[in-house]
Amino acid sequence: MKLLLVEDNAILAADLQSFLQENRFVTEHAATLAEAREKLNDYEYDLAIIDIGLPDGSGLELVADIRNQRLPIAILILTARDAVEDKVTGLESGADDYLTKPFHLAELNARIRSIIRRSRFDRSNMVEAGKISVDTLASEAWVGDKRLNLTRKEYDLLLYFMVNENRLLTRESIVEHLWGDHIDQADSFDFLYNHIKNLRKKIVQAGGGNPIRAMYAMGYKFIRTD
Amino acid sequence: MNNRHAFKLLSKTTLIYLVFTFFAFSASAVLLMRNTDRFIDKEIEGYFRYYEHRVQKLLRMDRQLQDIERHAFVVSIEATEPAEFVPVYRDTLILNAETEARQPYRIKTLVIREEDQAYLVSLRRNSEDFEKLKEMIFGALIQVFIGLALVIVLFNTLLSGHFFQPFNRILQQMKSYKVGTAASPQPVRTNTVEFIRMQQLFTRMVERIEGDYRNLKEYTEHMAHELQTPLTVMRSKMESLIADTQVMRRHHSAVKILSDEITHLSKLGTTLNLLTKIENQEFNRSERIVTQPVIERHVEAIHELVALKSLTIEADLDKDHTLVIDPFLLDIVLKNLLRNAISYGTPNGPIRIVTFADTLEVSNYGAPLSFPAEKLFERFSHHNGLRASLGLGLSLVKKVCEVSGIEIGYVYRDGQHVFSLSSV
Repeated sequence: MKLLLVEDNAILAADLQSFLQENRFVTEHAATLAEAREKLNDYEYDLAIIDIGLPDGSGLELVADIRNQRLPIAILILTARDAVEDKVTGLESGADDYLTKPFHLAELNARIRSIIRRSRFDRSNMVEAGKISVDTLASEAWVGDKRLNLTRKEYDLLLYFMVNENRLLTRESIVEHLWGDHIDQADSFDFLYNHIKNLRKKIVQAGGGNPIRAMYAMGYKFIRTD
Repeated sequence: MNNRHAFKLLSKTTLIYLVFTFFAFSASAVLLMRNTDRFIDKEIEGYFRYYEHRVQKLLRMDRQLQDIERHAFVVSIEATEPAEFVPVYRDTLILNAETEARQPYRIKTLVIREEDQAYLVSLRRNSEDFEKLKEMIFGALIQVFIGLALVIVLFNTLLSGHFFQPFNRILQQMKSYKVGTAASPQPVRTNTVEFIRMQQLFTRMVERIEGDYRNLKEYTEHMAHELQTPLTVMRSKMESLIADTQVMRRHHSAVKILSDEITHLSKLGTTLNLLTKIENQEFNRSERIVTQPVIERHVEAIHELVALKSLTIEADLDKDHTLVIDPFLLDIVLKNLLRNAISYGTPNGPIRIVTFADTLEVSNYGAPLSFPAEKLFERFSHHNGLRASLGLGLSLVKKVCEVSGIEIGYVYRDGQHVFSLSSV
């Protein structure tokens, strides 16, 4: 799986690159539109992560280029602007998804995984971690051969944990992933606590042990149980 | 400004002009009447002289005075000091035997000496014609004054529309001017110096406001935009720290505080930016939206949250209820009203969302407000003391309503906080 990261901020680019490499993606970096175009000409990529605000133009031009050349590349846009127009034009111009800055790395990872699952490069719809497996096509979760009876949000929660295995997910990041801005942060932690309690109970009852651990009153980590 | 005693400029000038004309006319009337009187006096005096002369002549010739008895009445008197007898004038009415009408007369009484005999002579002259002349002049003056007053009023009324047209058009431009429309006002054609000056001033003012506004807008946009990248860097560094078990073991509480503050800051930036965009009317794709499916989508999105907080939510939706609003803004309003209801709702009863006629109501049970209701929609009121709440939700709702022409109301009734939106 090869990724092209187009981002002009050096620190952010370096961080993202090391994060993506940790997650077993081969990642190359371009800081400008020109550099990105060159790389796209010379190499093949499965996914491009493109920041809209680049020093020599808009990332949206690059999206248009890729789509006009019918390159088989999935696209995720990063936008610093929260403007709806940007999101709409981004998606209309052919991007597969967008992410508004500042974002959580776990969220970026979840989005990338989701794009990959949807794209034709990885035909597997299964996400697996130890005994637990999730079929993203059927939206079903299993512990061994026992099907878990999850609500929609519990399913989303489990999938988010599994694609970010062994990573501490802050409560903010989880809440944002599940509910967006439908909820005040102040209230959200109780909800999250209840959700996680219910999800844990269902996994334990199905014999999956307790893979979801609370960490430092900050968040939770999914650790596979065998 | 007190407008209770305000008049139109033109009515004011007309009134002043009328008063001035009235005084001018009165003065000239007095002058004219005095001149007329003088003329009449002179005429009558001439007449009297003539008859005085004739009486003297007839007396001298010892002739009968019968010929002139219609004009003069003569009696002989004994006067010791006739020289001291000053002629006396008086105006009186005398009955005309033929017409039986009283007629005005002027009478001059004097003493005439002929040889050693003194005579008291009373001369008289019918002054009816002169009185009539005076009345005519006076009448004519009044008629001219009334005519002039009418002309002034009529002229001002008819021409005010014409003369003040450029003024009114400039006023109209001022009234319809909205910050951020960028276009300079359309020039109004006029050759009135005052209006030209007013127009120049207005144009210059608009240009200045637009300039300031553009700068402010750019500044806000840049601020909001440029803040996001450093915040993203901070967050990604933060996440590297969080991923580091050793760091977390030793510094987790400091990391937590930093992480919370970064989250708060980025949310604040995003929301303030959104608020500014709404104020700038950047969301202007208003359309008539049937609210039922939209509300149902929102209720669906939060019903798990509601249940987790041991609350319930009831929706009683009129399928014909519509709102004219930008779809994105409607989402903001519903999201924030429902979020508010979930945050502050108590399990005494359900959160209700109801639509009927032109109204949409969102209500939740809870204790009465501990502060004035007007403060409810203010930014950063922080009456709840919850740090994680931005204190911007309801002010966002209010702002959206303002730009969308929707009236927002709040009441506390039957133990419930009720927010209502109605189309104006």
